[in-house]
Parts: sequence; C-alpha cells; structure tokens
Amino acid sequence: MAVTHILLIEDDDGTADEILLELATAGHAATRTATLRDGDPLARGGDIDLMILDRQLPDGEGLALLADLRRDGVRTPALVLSALGSLDDRVRGLKAGGDDYLAKPFALVELVARVEALLRRPNDTRDTRLIAGPIDLDLLAGRGMRAGRPLELLPRELKLLEYLVRRQGRIVTRSMLLQDVWGYSFEPNSNVVDVHMGRLRRKVDIDGEAQLIRNVRGQGYVFDLPA
Amino acid sequence: MRWGGALAAMLVLQSIALAAVFWVLANGSHRRSIEHALADDCTFFALTPGEERPEELREKLTRDIHRDRFLGLFDAQGRLIAGNVGRLPPSVPPGASFVADVAPTELPGKRSDQARITVCAMPDGTRLLAGVDLDDTEEALRLVWRSLLLGLAPGLAMALIFGLVAGRRAARQVDTVRQLTERIIAGDLGERLPVAARPDSFGLLCADINAMLDRLQQLVGEVRGVGDDIAHQIRTPLTRLRARLDRGLRDARTPGDFAAVSDSALADVDVLLGIVGALLRLRELGDHARRSRFAPVELAQLIDDACDLYRPIAEDRGLTLTCAIAPVPVIEGDASLLMEAVTNMIDNAIKYGPPRGVIRVSLGMAGEAIGVSVADEGEGVPPAERPLVTQRFYRARSDVAGVGLGLSLVKAVADLHGAQLRFADQGSAVSLIWPLRTEAPRSA
Repeated sequence: MAVTHILLIEDDDGTADEILLELATAGHAATRTATLRDGDPLARGGDIDLMILDRQLPDGEGLALLADLRRDGVRTPALVLSALGSLDDRVRGLKAGGDDYLAKPFALVELVARVEALLRRPNDTRDTRLIAGPIDLDLLAGRGMRAGRPLELLPRELKLLEYLVRRQGRIVTRSMLLQDVWGYSFEPNSNVVDVHMGRLRRKVDIDGEAQLIRNVRGQGYVFDLPA
Repeated sequence: MRWGGALAAMLVLQSIALAAVFWVLANGSHRRSIEHALADDCTFFALTPGEERPEELREKLTRDIHRDRFLGLFDAQGRLIAGNVGRLPPSVPPGASFVADVAPTELPGKRSDQARITVCAMPDGTRLLAGVDLDDTEEALRLVWRSLLLGLAPGLAMALIFGLVAGRRAARQVDTVRQLTERIIAGDLGERLPVAARPDSFGLLCADINAMLDRLQQLVGEVRGVGDDIAHQIRTPLTRLRARLDRGLRDARTPGDFAAVSDSALADVDVLLGIVGALLRLRELGDHARRSRFAPVELAQLIDDACDLYRPIAEDRGLTLTCAIAPVPVIEGDASLLMEAVTNMIDNAIKYGPPRGVIRVSLGMAGEAIGVSVADEGEGVPPAERPLVTQRFYRARSDVAGVGLGLSLVKAVADLHGAQLRFADQGSAVSLIWPLRTEAPRSA
C-alpha cells in the first residue's frame, strides 16, 4: 500500500494529537497545522492526498479556505470537522466543496474509516455485476450467490452487501451504513444496524464457510477475503 | 444636587425672561401711544389755517388739565409765536420722536423738564413743537419695574426651592434604582423596587423593572434547573465509568481482561456522548433557522424506511411490527430529523410495550390532517405523566434503559415542523399530527 499523505488543519492540540496517532496507526503520514495561513500553501502544494479541515480556526472559517481552494482548482478530497454538530453545517460543508463531514465529538475509528473511504472511492459504481472471491452479486436481477449457493437476500441486505463488497478490506462504520444505505443521517438509540448486519452475516457466512464479513469491535464491519 | 441646581437655574431664567418681555412690551406700548398723540397734533395744526393756529394752540393748552402737554409754535427764525415752551431744542434727531429737555414757560418753579417731543414743519414755514411731559410716564414705568422686581424675587426664591426639592427627589429615585442594580450585579436577583399604590411614570418604570426582574429570575431558575439536571444525569454514568476503570486496573490480568474493561468503558463514554449530543441537538432544534433548508419529504417512503430499519430488531425481541401506510401529501421538512423522531417513537414502543405484542405504525389522513402514529399493546403513558414526558431527562420507568431525552427530541422535531405531538385518550398511541396548510386560508 502506497503511503498517503494527509494534511490536518486543526487548532486544538489534544484533538490533533489523537488524530495524528490514529492516522499513523492506520499507516498514513500526516502533517498538521493549526491555522489556515499555515495550511493554505501546503494544501496547494500538490503532494497532499487528502485534507482534514476543522471549521473554527483561530484565523477564520475552514470552509472559506476550502471554497478558495476549490475555486482555484484544487481537487484534493476534503473531510470537514466541526464542533457545530448540526445537519445544517453538514450541508454547508458539502456545498463548500467538502467530500465528507464529521461532527465533533466523533470516534477516531469513524474518522479513519471515512478518510479511507475518501482515499479509495469505489471506482465504478455503475457495475451491475460484482464478483469478489466466492461472492457474486447480480444487482440488476437483485440476486446474490456465494460459491453457487443462492443467498436469499432481502433488497436492503443486497444493498448492504454491495456496499461492503465495494469497500473490500476497509472498515465501514454503522453511521456510514445508515447514511449511505438507508439515506438518513442520525444516531439511532438502538443497535438497529447491528441487527441488520447480523442477519446479513448469517446468510452470507454459514457454518463451515470462511468468514467474509467481520465485526470489528467498537468500530464497524469489514468485508474481506481470506488470505 | 446638580439636578436641583439646573432645575432652579432654568426656573430663574424663565422668570427673568418673562419680566424682561413684560418690561419691553409695557415701555414700547407707552411710547407708541405718545407718538400717536404727537403725530395727531402735527396733522391737526398743519390743517389749521395759519392765522388761527396760535388761538387753537392756546385753546388746546387750556384744555390740558393734567398740564403734561408741551406745545410751541415758532417762526422761521426760531422765535416763539405762541405756546408754553420757551425755545426749540438745539438739534432735531431723525425719527418719529425723541426725548429732550424743554424750557416750560407756564410751569411754576420749573426751568427745565424732560419730555418726549417732536418738531414738525407747518405749510407756512413756521415750526410746531409738540411734546408730552415724561414725569408721569417715568413714575408709571418705575411702578411697573418695582412690581416686576417684587414679583420676581419670590418667584426666583420659589424656583430655586422647587428646583432643589424636585431635583433631590429625582436624584433619590434614581439612586434607589442604582443601588438595586448594584445589588443585582452582585448576584441578588430577589430584590424589588418599591412601587406606590398609584404610581407616577417613574413608579410605572419601577414596576416594569420589577416585571423584568421577575422574568429574569424565572429564566435563571430554569437554566439552573437544566444545568443541575445535566450535571446529575452525567454524574451517574461518570461514576460508573470511574468504578469500572478502577476495578479493571486492579483486577484485569490478561490482555483479554483489559480489552473487556475498555469495551465497557467505551460503552459508558458512548452513553455520555449520546446525552451531550442529544442536548446539543435539542438546543439546535429550538433554533428555527433550520427550517431554511427544509425540502419536500415523502412521508410514505420515510415511514416505510423506518419500518424496514426496525422490523428485524422488533422480531429479535419477539415483537411484531406492522406498518399501514396510506398515501398523504408531500410535506416540507428535514428527512433525517423526521426519521429520528419516528424511530424514537418506535424505540419507545419496543421498550415500553408488553412482550410478544404487536407494534402498529401507521401513516394516513386523520380528517384534514396528516397523522403518523405508533402504538403498542400496553397502557401507554399514564395521563398524569403526559405533560412531563416531553421534559428533558424525565423517565417514565427506571427499569428500562435510556436517558429520558427521546420524547423531548420528538417534541422538538414536531415543533420545528409545525406538527403536534399527541397522546391517544385510550391506549398507548403516540402521534405526530400535521394540520394541512390548505385549510387555513378558507376565503381564498
């Protein structure tokens, strides 16, 4: 895996340190600046694969820098962070050219999962046939097979599996699933997503088969082929 | 003190101005009436034939019983032809009349007298001096001046006294308010200003200040209450978290033990973050600016998604989730917030409904309104508790997990969307009711 370089613009030292540690653990090199003034030239430098941008910085609003960069043709993917935890801000963040938006407080795994999702966006989402190891999904017909065995998936379960397969080897979090598969962004009070995933896993991985969908404790789920 | 001085000075100035105006007017009016009489004399003698003039003049002087008139007819060389004035004044300034000393010829013991006079030319070249003795006039004006002074002195004194008293009183009232505000700044919100039974406008101001303080005290009380609630609600999971970590550090031996401890600690932290997040969202929902990004929402799709999301978890708990969806008009709203509200209602039904029961979610028209309703087979919220359940941190039953923010959030989302949160009279149904906007303007 090629080393990716991430620019983090975040003024709070504690938060920045945690994020840097977590990114390093996940194998990403990261540079941090605390102000827009310092971050601007780095963001335009060209050797940055992704930027993580706080909204409220001592010398201004992160979205303003982002809008400037986008206007000047800088297309580097951007993940916007904010303590203003509202959907309003989410919409504004995405409008200003952000590719994803996380409200503080967030779990670090959520951040890393979204960073990786942005770094490796699924390349062709229009494929109607997905094959990954023993899994064979026919999205047009709404059918799924594992090594010739029909999976009897409900439409929502097929979408969940498709989402996981397209992000093979990467952690997807519950809120990513809720947001991208169901289309609503909120924090449910119950473990509804886990119940859906449990059902999907029981259909995909039956006794005696290699486990393709794993639950990563406290983080989310990964679809992975056995080595 | 400054107030009193200023007020007194103003009253004094006013008295002086009044007196001055009176003086000028009285003086001016007297002078005008004299000039009028002098002009009459000039006209009269100019119209009288030359040979009759001395006779007419003597006649006129005889009729002047007050003996305050001066008349003299002089020939071109300035010699007296007839009259009671010895000679013409040496020079005649321009203007209707002037004040000069004349030499009376018929006043016993008086060689000179001050008079307001005029000199006019007669058609035959002779000149007429007409004048009025100013002795009486001066006396009269002196009288006026004296009476003005007499009136002014007590007026000034009264003005000073009144100014000082009124100023003192105003200063005392302002001081009362200032002392009160100082005590309020020091933190005592319980103080109130005295208000008379029949208040003047300052009293009304005091009453308004008191009303403002009442409202302030109430708001501060509410904020303190919410703050206490939050502190209390957060202390419990924090205490548990601390105990868990403490015990974990003491007892855990293997990496597996530590992982278990940190897992449960993370779960506790998530609960805490959940409380904080829900409170932030409630505050945010109170800010109605959010409506600006409302979009059309298909409630049928939304309810279908909610049922789809919750059916597995209901089934896992032995409950049946049924959804009855009738077509309804599209509404303006925020789909994620509405989803959050509806799933909170379903969550409550799952938590509080009886085991192995049926949860009915329905969407449809209720008369002229759109209704979303969630019902389980239980008793529902007891009527006595209904006003309480939408308050933050109120929990109907302590044997069920949760932090007591669910229905507050449902209520806040409903308010934001112009919907009402209703509890059925019988049973457990909780509904969101949208009155359709089309029914409002009936005349259109």
